[in-house]
Amino acid sequence: MSNSRKTTRILNNMKSYASKPANVITVIFFIILLATVCFPLLSLVRDAFTVHFGEIRDVGKPLGSFTLYHWHTLLFDTLYDYSILTFWRPLLNSFSMAVISCIVAVGFGGAVAWFITRSDIPGKKFLSTIFVFPYIMPSWSIAMFWENFFKNTQIVACYNQMGMLESITGICVPEWVLYGFFPCAMCLGIHYAPFAYLLIGGILRNMDANLEEAATVLKASRFKILRRITLPIVTPALISTVLLVFSSSISSYTVPAFLNKNGSFSTISTTMRSLFNTAAMQGQGFVVAIVLLIFSVVILTLNNKMTGKRKSFTTISGKSGQVSLVKLGKARKPITAVIMIISVFFAIVPLVSFALESLLEVPGDYSTISLYYWLTTDTLEDRVFGSSQGILRNPTIWSALGRSLLVSFAVALISGTFGILIGYACARKRGSKLARWVSNMAFFPYLIPAMSFGAVYLSVSFLPAFSFLRSSVLLLIIVGGIKFLPFASRSGANAMMQVSGEIEEAAFVIGVPWWKRMARILFPIQKASFISGYLLPFISCMRELSLFVLLAAPGSIITVVLQDFEVNGLTQISNGINFLIIMIVLLVQFITNKLTGASIDKGIGG
Amino acid sequence: MPEIVLEHVTKCFGKFVAVDDLNLTIEDRDFITLLGPSGCGKTTTLRMIAGLETPTKGRITIGDTVVFDSEEGIDISPAKRDIGFLFQNYALWPHMTVYDNIAFGLENLKWPKDKIESRVREMLGMLRIEQFEKRYPSELSGGQQQRVAIARTLAPSPKVLFMDEPLSNLDAKLRLEMRSELKRLHVDTDSTFVYVTHDQMEAMALATKICLMNKGILQQYDPPLTVYDRPANLFVADFVGNPTMNFFPVKASRKDSRSFAFHMLGRDLVFTGEKDIAEEASDAVIGVRPEFITLGEGAFSGVVYTTLPSGMETTVRIRAGEDFVTAVIFGSVDFSHSLEMPFGIKGNSILLFDKASGKMLSMGTVSEA
Repeated sequence: MSNSRKTTRILNNMKSYASKPANVITVIFFIILLATVCFPLLSLVRDAFTVHFGEIRDVGKPLGSFTLYHWHTLLFDTLYDYSILTFWRPLLNSFSMAVISCIVAVGFGGAVAWFITRSDIPGKKFLSTIFVFPYIMPSWSIAMFWENFFKNTQIVACYNQMGMLESITGICVPEWVLYGFFPCAMCLGIHYAPFAYLLIGGILRNMDANLEEAATVLKASRFKILRRITLPIVTPALISTVLLVFSSSISSYTVPAFLNKNGSFSTISTTMRSLFNTAAMQGQGFVVAIVLLIFSVVILTLNNKMTGKRKSFTTISGKSGQVSLVKLGKARKPITAVIMIISVFFAIVPLVSFALESLLEVPGDYSTISLYYWLTTDTLEDRVFGSSQGILRNPTIWSALGRSLLVSFAVALISGTFGILIGYACARKRGSKLARWVSNMAFFPYLIPAMSFGAVYLSVSFLPAFSFLRSSVLLLIIVGGIKFLPFASRSGANAMMQVSGEIEEAAFVIGVPWWKRMARILFPIQKASFISGYLLPFISCMRELSLFVLLAAPGSIITVVLQDFEVNGLTQISNGINFLIIMIVLLVQFITNKLTGASIDKGIGG
Repeated sequence: MPEIVLEHVTKCFGKFVAVDDLNLTIEDRDFITLLGPSGCGKTTTLRMIAGLETPTKGRITIGDTVVFDSEEGIDISPAKRDIGFLFQNYALWPHMTVYDNIAFGLENLKWPKDKIESRVREMLGMLRIEQFEKRYPSELSGGQQQRVAIARTLAPSPKVLFMDEPLSNLDAKLRLEMRSELKRLHVDTDSTFVYVTHDQMEAMALATKICLMNKGILQQYDPPLTVYDRPANLFVADFVGNPTMNFFPVKASRKDSRSFAFHMLGRDLVFTGEKDIAEEASDAVIGVRPEFITLGEGAFSGVVYTTLPSGMETTVRIRAGEDFVTAVIFGSVDFSHSLEMPFGIKGNSILLFDKASGKMLSMGTVSEA
């Protein structure tokens, strides 16, 4: 074959490759994700092995040179038990906290999912609505509520403030119930229970009910069906849920940050935060970030190993509409009562408690209700960054809230749109290697703990070429956009898979251009799913703290401001801000749901 | 023995009535097909008998046991009804091997291990799936999965076997094969079969009795040939038979106790019933099966509209003025388009329906006035 013909053929091949939008999208996103996911990861690894400005003296090497000092010090320094206190013990703490919270989340969320999908428990609609509240609230809300509820005059660490329990019953719980391991694990478990409920419930709802009926007809008992049929079939989803909850809990920053006021319980992420805040220890902070990352990668691999292969099965099929519900009989009332009470307690009572706390001039004293902390122009506290007037008069709070809304909106726009495009490309190019890479890379940020992800971008912003990003809103938008991409790309891919290619091809053959096919055919068909792909990043971003805590300038976004007030003891204001955030999130979710039918459970997409 | 009796069984989903006041008796060792268009309530009926769906009203008896009675509040679990159920999508447990799928039901009956093993082997052999014993369902083809599902259902030797469109997911060839195997199984197992299908050919071929339903209401419950020859009403006549029956709406006037005169296809004709017809039928419909149309000779004239040869037989559609007439002739012919074609109506199986009620009034002959 002559050379010119060869070139022509290659050119023609490229042309036909580029003429398919799915190909172009795949290539573009491959490059974008390489830059936004892989490159920062490399930069993180580099930072764990180099000398930073503040460390020159300790390491004794010039700035930027290679060193194993961070690893050695953090992992093996025995002087004053340094590595045990700053690394091994926090790691163990985080690990056991994650295990307990997994058990609570999957046990409680899974049980509720089963009751709602498979039994004749009353009030299903109400229950499924309020049960997801704790997940919609910021992750520290339950922690904050826990503190509001259990704090008492016997405990010094909470400034001897009176909490709800004490003021109602006079009971003072011991300190270990209020701060430390137990409350952290419980709060995380309760926060992630709705998540487990959404995932497991989704699987149960989609699971072919005939599989269980077939066992009923063959005379298997209810319990046996659960043990031998239902559980094994939902096991892959169960394992995924466990692993995802585990990886989220182990790296949780906000809950331990709120419930460690007595300093007794350090976790790997609170340690990481304080390492990053110390100039001479940033390198060690990056080491911790890498360790957390390794955890996540191991978890991802485990997940793929366990759910893959021979026994993997799609559970979606058939006439699942005709589920015969288990009759709870005599147990119906007590079970309903227990589930209702717990759900309401953790869904509605926190809201009341936040509102109430923000109105008490003297914490715990319900006779001092006033709007003082909302309306005052007095300076309440000097240590707080920016101004510290009442919530509604405070320019720092208002501008931070505005910035938060802006960031969340931009993040939702980026990750939602990217998610749809990636979903489209992956669904159309199913089986191609590049598409698989893109879809894996788009999912990867999910597994990187939020704070490590922040650390990754922190290390990028330290590079001279990217120094303009440091502490900027743009950086927050990029970080958020990539971090929340997994939700959007998953729901995008799921939605696209459900639309058969023929529907698009029917428009293609009559010459409808690609953008029009997307806008006029594909988007309207899966509107609810796609909008959920925008909604979930918005909500997640609005209430996010861990991801931004290393990156955001003081006073820049509302969650950072909230934490600043909280750690300085102005709990009325932090409660008030939290109440505001939750109200905004619930309102956005409610309006979107009413207008478009989108909802966060569709976004998570079982 | 397990005679199944349904009395006034009704099932509503909200306001929608899926099954309306159904009365049905299924004799022991019958092979009943529940036939009807989709959404007619046949699957719901089957699931109610099996106990997977709770009727809104009525009473169901299997053998000597009342398994459901809305008034007495009896509702026996499907596990205690001693039945087998074959699902449309097979519902094989994806996490169990073929062997485990079949053995599961026997384990629940607390059979000893060696008996379970020999029974499973027997079933594997009977359905010719021995080589798949260790495989998972996802590694089998549709037909193989189907066999596993049948083996699983038959293993505990249920006295009554319910099947919900079990062949609809198979390709045409395999479906024919499995159809004959099912019929053979019915003879071999000595059980009562209740079978749901929307395929009238399948119903005709398999059943000892067809229960035809539409919109939740029982239309006819008779042996297949009775349903075919003497459909109870227009719906049944139209639903059963392929190609469908020819219907001619006519204005009829009574001639004597058993005959009516009317104008049809451009001729004055007389319908004579096999016996006296009590009902009046001024607005009537004459129904003629395609096989009772003779081609090439006869009183009527028309032109060929289409010819559809299918090898063994040929369906010919003829245009006669405003009307279309479908005829079936044996063998393969291909008439040219627009050919002049005289045709006639033969035999004594012509049907007379009342147009308003749809009821079949009489079978008889059609002749020139």
